[in-house]
Amino acid sequence: MSDTQRPGGSSDLLEPDEEARPEDAIAAGGPGGVIAEGAIAATAAVEGGASVYQASLWGDAWRQLRRKPLFIISSVLLLLFTVVAIAPGLFTNQDPTFQDLSKTVQAPQAGHPFGYDILGRDYFARVLYGTRVSLVIGLLVVAIDVVVAIVLGSIAGYYGRFWDALIARIADIWFALPTVLAGIVFLNVMGERGLLQVAFVLIFLGWPTLMRLMRSSVLSGRESDYVQAAKALGASDWRIMRVHILPNGIAPVIVYATISVGIIISAEAALSFLGVGLELPAISWGLMISDAQNRILTSPHLLFFPGAALSLLVLCFIILGDALRDALDPRLR
Amino acid sequence: MGRYIARRLLQAIPVFFGATFIVFAMVYAIPGDPIRALNGERPISDSAMQQLHERYNLDDPLLVQYGKYIWGIVHGDFGKTFRGYPVIDIMKEKFPVTFRLALGAFVFEGIVGLFAGILAGLKRGSFMDNLLLISTMFIAAIPVFVLGFLAQIMLGIQFRIFPIAGIYNGWISYVLPSIVLGSLSLVYIARLTRTSLVENMRSDYIRTAEAKGLPRSRVVGRHALRNSLIPVVTYLGVDLGTLMVGAIITEGIFNIPGVGREIFLAIRGQEGAVVVGIVTAGIMIFIVMNLFVDLLYAVLDPRIRYE
Amino acid sequence: MRRRLRAPALLGLILALALVAAACGGDDEDGGAATTAPVATTGGEFSMSICEPESLIPQINAETCGSQVLKGLFTPLIQFDPETDELIYAVAESITSDDQTTWTVTLRDGWTFHDGTPVTAQSFVDAWNWGAFGPNGAGNNYFFGPYGVNIVGYDALNPSEGKPDAKELSGLTVVDDRTFTVELGAPFSEFPITVGYNAFYPLPPSFFEDSDAFNEAPVGNGPYMIDGSWQHDQQISVVRYEDYAGTPGNADAITFRIYADLDTAYRDTQAGGLDIADVPSEQIESGRAEFGDRFIESPSSSFSYIGFPLWAEPFDNPDIRKAMSMAIDRQAVITAIFFDTLTPADDMASPVVQGYREGACGEACTYDPEAAKELFDSAGGIDGELTIWFNNDGGHEQWIEAVANQWAQNLDIEFRFESMPFAKYLGLLDEGLDNELGDTDGVNGPFRLGWVMDYPSMQNYLENLHGTQAGSNYTTYSNPEFDDLIAQGKRATDLDQAVSLYQQADDLVIQDLPIIPLWFGLNQSVTSENVSNVIIDKFSFVDIARVEVVGGGA
Repeated sequence: MSDTQRPGGSSDLLEPDEEARPEDAIAAGGPGGVIAEGAIAATAAVEGGASVYQASLWGDAWRQLRRKPLFIISSVLLLLFTVVAIAPGLFTNQDPTFQDLSKTVQAPQAGHPFGYDILGRDYFARVLYGTRVSLVIGLLVVAIDVVVAIVLGSIAGYYGRFWDALIARIADIWFALPTVLAGIVFLNVMGERGLLQVAFVLIFLGWPTLMRLMRSSVLSGRESDYVQAAKALGASDWRIMRVHILPNGIAPVIVYATISVGIIISAEAALSFLGVGLELPAISWGLMISDAQNRILTSPHLLFFPGAALSLLVLCFIILGDALRDALDPRLR
Repeated sequence: MGRYIARRLLQAIPVFFGATFIVFAMVYAIPGDPIRALNGERPISDSAMQQLHERYNLDDPLLVQYGKYIWGIVHGDFGKTFRGYPVIDIMKEKFPVTFRLALGAFVFEGIVGLFAGILAGLKRGSFMDNLLLISTMFIAAIPVFVLGFLAQIMLGIQFRIFPIAGIYNGWISYVLPSIVLGSLSLVYIARLTRTSLVENMRSDYIRTAEAKGLPRSRVVGRHALRNSLIPVVTYLGVDLGTLMVGAIITEGIFNIPGVGREIFLAIRGQEGAVVVGIVTAGIMIFIVMNLFVDLLYAVLDPRIRYE
Repeated sequence: MRRRLRAPALLGLILALALVAAACGGDDEDGGAATTAPVATTGGEFSMSICEPESLIPQINAETCGSQVLKGLFTPLIQFDPETDELIYAVAESITSDDQTTWTVTLRDGWTFHDGTPVTAQSFVDAWNWGAFGPNGAGNNYFFGPYGVNIVGYDALNPSEGKPDAKELSGLTVVDDRTFTVELGAPFSEFPITVGYNAFYPLPPSFFEDSDAFNEAPVGNGPYMIDGSWQHDQQISVVRYEDYAGTPGNADAITFRIYADLDTAYRDTQAGGLDIADVPSEQIESGRAEFGDRFIESPSSSFSYIGFPLWAEPFDNPDIRKAMSMAIDRQAVITAIFFDTLTPADDMASPVVQGYREGACGEACTYDPEAAKELFDSAGGIDGELTIWFNNDGGHEQWIEAVANQWAQNLDIEFRFESMPFAKYLGLLDEGLDNELGDTDGVNGPFRLGWVMDYPSMQNYLENLHGTQAGSNYTTYSNPEFDDLIAQGKRATDLDQAVSLYQQADDLVIQDLPIIPLWFGLNQSVTSENVSNVIIDKFSFVDIARVEVVGGGA
């Protein structure tokens, strides 16, 4: 989905005065099936591009968020997940790798609330330890994507012309590529598929969209009055970017990034499910679900617990992103 | 408008070459000898290996291989699998199947998504609206493979409503997988429609129309919808192309012999020609769909026409 | 697509109707050109699951899905009775030799290909020459060479460099339409039982005119002929060949439905859309309950093992190998992960071949974690992390993790995995083939592999895996005494004598343990109510000619 071919988001040299439009936010990953199958993304994350933000955007947003019950609940849950990821040992004293084949697939019972997995390992401990992998990958990948997106998007949006054309073309190519397939090809032959390798592939999945969002913000910000004024006053490019454009321009990027974390977490699970994600003996929800697929009828708990955990975590990020978007949209106030 | 189209066409060219070269490089730069794989755990004579390597240009440098490949495509020759089966025939068999699946998903997500989105958008804050928001969140959070298995087991085996595998039962075979495949885009479309509609309903020109005393149906039908649907339509336009190449998981779960499953198996079997062939075709489709959508956009948004 | 499906269905319907009409009208069958007495066939149609074949050219196809189809389309020189394993002379009337080295093959009369051309000695010789000719790149090429039956002249067709000088094996000679001779490079008393395999099927002249077209619609000499052509990734339809010279097939038509994975096929059988399918191991328990006597279990020849790279320390130490074998609780893995569908291996050859001895492996294959730990420690243990190798596209993840955990818990070691697609995996294993102690090419830790027999002989398990420089010997095990015993066995004219020699060789390997035998396989399939008399042979193939369709005739 290349919105550089749409006048609303064109990087064409002859159309400097474009506005960012909602469709810019549509670009959710090109023909990468798994990601397209998993994105509700920033449906209206970029309304803000058309209007000029007030200086206290973030302050206002925060005040509004604080009062929303959904936001509070999902934040608390997220905090809980984070604690679990950092110190799973706080919540269980079982060793997630200790195998006792005689206990294979036993259902939830006293002392083992999630039962046992196929190799007779305590499932509760495994689901807890799996949180770490999902959160780390999700946050790491999106963090890097955001940084890359901000840098490239700013350059493309602010300096326009050649840089814009170059970066936009690269993003186009990226969109045309079925990046998920590319990821599968890549991962299929890597000798080792650890956290870093999988993260590496996933990073390439999301950066064009974020970059475009940033670019749109920068483009509209660049044309605004106060920026023109600052330029006239002799402010350097860097200062203009840092003080005027970035603070508000980042908003749509942050919204989409939040939801992205959920998408990336889901994508890692999908890759593991396809057999090209993390390698054994990693503890990942995706691997657990993959193991469970043939025993859904006989041992449903194998699918249910990691599936629920995964869905819940992703849900948290989606709710968070939604709430952020609502809070950051001045028109909804 | 002609200039607009021409420009888009020109921009498409480097995209095509860039994308296809990257795919080609990735596939053929893979370590591991695919000829070796053909023989499984059994030995293969050096002579046979040598002949096959020559036949498939496996010893040429990458750029040369790529060049020969593109040259072949221009003549409609997408190469052969290592068993000697022409890739173009494989594509001719698989693409229509995936197309039918994608079309089914498309129709499903389009109709239901639009319908739900419009309902929700027109009655912002109502029960319908909240229901939509919450249910879409849940559908989006559940991974597609879990969704697929649940559908297969619930509707296919427990209640035997739909066939669960293959495409032997005619069009009914596509129902379940289409629904699963389209479920996430459905969420997207519903929300996009809703948001777009909500936004437009608040805008000045709608307020003017209402103030003028126009009946609601006219206001919505003639003004609000038309503008709200632009982003949705552009998304839909490209989604079809996206669905075509990406339905790997769905095709696997439901045993649909389409392009997605084919690529996955080909990657495993290191059948480079198949992977590159299908992906290249997919890229071409994608670019064409994009151009088409750009055209559509020009039609819908008059500002574009006058460039 | 609907049009294509209608044709075979229509044909099947007509045939079924014709049979009904004929049967209800009087006599069952016409005389035909069969050499055996006319047999009433049940008629009807059924379907079974396969995966997408690599090829339908017998000399190329080395995987089970295509081979299943080919078994219906072709009849080789000899066959094995699926229930008794008895050798049956099919197209061949006799295969004899005075010196175990030069063999005379005499064919029966009356055999024809589906296009009417006769099956002659030339049909076999031409086919074998094609298979053995290096540049054709046939997957079963090696069968004609030193790792297979070793026909004289193979090397000329497979030079290590450059193009071959000859196109025909000098060891094959056509004497007349019904006779040809085969000269082997070394005596091999079991030669007759080896020629039942794909590589040795005959080919009609039409193959040599257009092998690509042949691949889409093979013309064989078997009880069934292809109906239409190979619909890739969907199905292959076959109908009964009315002029078949052997026992005609029971069903009128068979559809081989192609599935990407086992589970979908199984679910389809549950849902009533398929007649015969394999059972995924996770479904064994529920399958037994659900299908009752339509759940079929029979021994298969499959053999799973873990090999050691003997060039890499400390795996050159037999005590280490033995300790690691004793630390595996095979039965526990089989019960938890395979639902008891396998049997723990206690010999280096499968129970389905003559010569297998129960418990031959003895102590080395018996689970004893304490003794294992003791042996392991006294042998010096392993420094650092153990790297375990396997291919990630064969569904091995669960049991390998289970075994690795057992090693970790019983021997107190750390491990990591290296997994990759089969192609790359084999390539890596190949790299180690020329290694000597201390070399570092290739894999550096235990690796999993499997073996399915090419023909029912103990020699097939032993020589291919453990013979010096043998085709599938990835451990680089080399024992001259072993090689000698095997060669003697191949020369022996008396089968019992051969077996006894093979058993001695077996003992040597068990003592040295270059591989850890893990388990033997079982076939498990389920059928719908539409079919009966479904027999699965030791090669894990369904004898499709015998399958009866319930209610197919009048």
